[in-house]
Amino acid sequence: MMSTNKNNVFLRGEGRSPWYRLDGSKFDCYLVGVAGGSASGKTSVAVRIIENLNVPWVILLSMDSFYRELSHEEKMEAQNNNFNFDHPNAFDFDLLLYTLKNMKEGKRVEVPIYDFITHSRISQKNSLYGANVVIFEGIFALYDQRIMDLMDLKVFVDTDSDIRLIRRLKRDISERGRDINGVIQQYQKFVKPAFDQYIQPTVKNADVIIPRGLDNLVAIDLITKHIQRQLHERQFNFRWDLLKSDYNFKKIPENVIILDQTSQLKGIHTIIRDKNTHLDDFIFYSERLVAIIVERALSELTYEEHEIVTPLNLPYVGKKCTEQVCGVSILRAGGTMENGLRKVVKDALIGKILIQSRPKTGEPSLHFVSLPDNIHECFVLLMDAQIATGAAALMAIRVLLDHDVPENKIILLNFIATPLSLHVITNAFPKIKICTSMVDPKINDETLFIEPGMGNFGDRYYGTS
Amino acid sequence: MPDLPSNVICLPQTNQLEALLTIIRDKDTNRGDFIFYSNRIIRLLVEEGLNHLPVVDKTVVTPTSVEFEGVGFKGKICGVSIMRAGESMEQGLRDCCRSVRIGKILIQRDEETALPKLYYSKLPPDIDDRYVLLLDPMLATGGSAIKAIEVLLSHGVKENKILFLNLVAAPEGIEAVTKKYSELKIVTASVDKGLNDKKYIIPGLGDFGDRYFTLP
Repeated sequence: MMSTNKNNVFLRGEGRSPWYRLDGSKFDCYLVGVAGGSASGKTSVAVRIIENLNVPWVILLSMDSFYRELSHEEKMEAQNNNFNFDHPNAFDFDLLLYTLKNMKEGKRVEVPIYDFITHSRISQKNSLYGANVVIFEGIFALYDQRIMDLMDLKVFVDTDSDIRLIRRLKRDISERGRDINGVIQQYQKFVKPAFDQYIQPTVKNADVIIPRGLDNLVAIDLITKHIQRQLHERQFNFRWDLLKSDYNFKKIPENVIILDQTSQLKGIHTIIRDKNTHLDDFIFYSERLVAIIVERALSELTYEEHEIVTPLNLPYVGKKCTEQVCGVSILRAGGTMENGLRKVVKDALIGKILIQSRPKTGEPSLHFVSLPDNIHECFVLLMDAQIATGAAALMAIRVLLDHDVPENKIILLNFIATPLSLHVITNAFPKIKICTSMVDPKINDETLFIEPGMGNFGDRYYGTS
Repeated sequence: MPDLPSNVICLPQTNQLEALLTIIRDKDTNRGDFIFYSNRIIRLLVEEGLNHLPVVDKTVVTPTSVEFEGVGFKGKICGVSIMRAGESMEQGLRDCCRSVRIGKILIQRDEETALPKLYYSKLPPDIDDRYVLLLDPMLATGGSAIKAIEVLLSHGVKENKILFLNLVAAPEGIEAVTKKYSELKIVTASVDKGLNDKKYIIPGLGDFGDRYFTLP
């Protein structure tokens, strides 16, 4: 929990630090597999590891979500307690592989929700995005070689079979209201044979075996320390490192569109940069400027020939834009551009990404992502008022790519950019276009503000300074 | 596109502008879309028109306490719409210039002479001191435009301080206006093929005022 009262900023929890390098390439997320017999304490061990790790953006994924849909006959068997849910055949390993692979690459994934009453997947899904660490637990977590190949650490929780039976009895009778004979019958018929035949042998695939499960604090502590060490090696000072980047600033990269420096544009800039400008003028002129920037950016979309008939009944071959536009604002300052965008694209979808700088380090951190489901089919106008080092924009672009937006379907719009940010972004993502209304030469080494710039744009627009 | 006189500015024909024009030319476009997309083109026209007004150097201090060498707008402006269709451009003008003064001129065809005749005008009293953005979405024969310009000049407006904004212009209209007035500027979004025998612009977009104000 973090909050600074002075500026009335309140942030719940810690954001996600950069999960990519300066060149835009990603670190894979860290995947831990936890296997063990039924009621061995896999989930408890996983939860304890997460608590000990004490880092945000960790996801616990259960194999229970990956039971496969049963056929009609199998459903009848399941109703009569005759279907073996402890057999590998009960799971959809292909979907599991696909999901874990995408998670490993940091992409957004849709995890199915399994309904144990109808033994099928319900139509809703859990959408997961943004994990630095994924802990995957299940009886067959270490069963499929393709899945184990993805794992950074493989753990087997080895709990005595008597204890597992006792736990299972307790759980099924008191929590699930089953009768004791049924539970014992199921244990003998399915659970025990499956453990002996399929689960126990996977212990040899593990890197670490935890005897006694949750009681084994030493083992859990060692595992936690190992993961922490591996994560720590990935950290670096992102924004400050960007400042040290060495580019030829005289040359503006390709793919950067700078608006024609007309007298109106300069006049508008003079008004919104002036620290004495009143709020209503500031809002009016910045919205006017957004409309100009968006109009310019829209020329970069794809158009096709389109034939129509005019009111005089004459044929006319014109053009038509073939793309759905989605604006994505990097909050807070990017949100100031939404009004101007809607003036031009009235039905634009709007997505939001909240990125804040850490107070002590100035590092960008991701706090919140809300994007339309079909964003991968849209042309995205990514909006931020000013880009100084480019750190927040890089993060937002990485989020979009993780949601399968093609790189050449993104234009980053802003009022002011620095040569540094233009180089940093186009260097990491060469197919991205940037459309800016003006380029300012300098970033203040201490405040990281653009100079001359326009100060804190969000504060001025929203009147919170 | 034919060669244009030097005082005629046609907006760059980007894909996007062509797509906007396609929407408003389409007879099946509904009025809501017609208004929305016309306004977008009108804003582009106004932005371009305003760029032809003079500015003066102006240095301001930004919130980072650093100076910015910019420009300030010089000279007062006003809009004058040729009624009724020209009034459809007032919203777009106000989107760019919030509290701009707006004069009106009503010109109708005289039944006896078939020539354009001034029926009504109401202009800001100090219009002779202002730059005038003259608004009419369609420039066909140029008859009413020339009449309106005469009215402005008779009120003391300098010819070189007139910017005539329209969405679609016919070469005949451009020729008629520029032959008579070489100092004013015309800013248009499209130069069409020409006029038909009823003096409608082709391919055109029909009656702009009707489509903006009254057609269902």
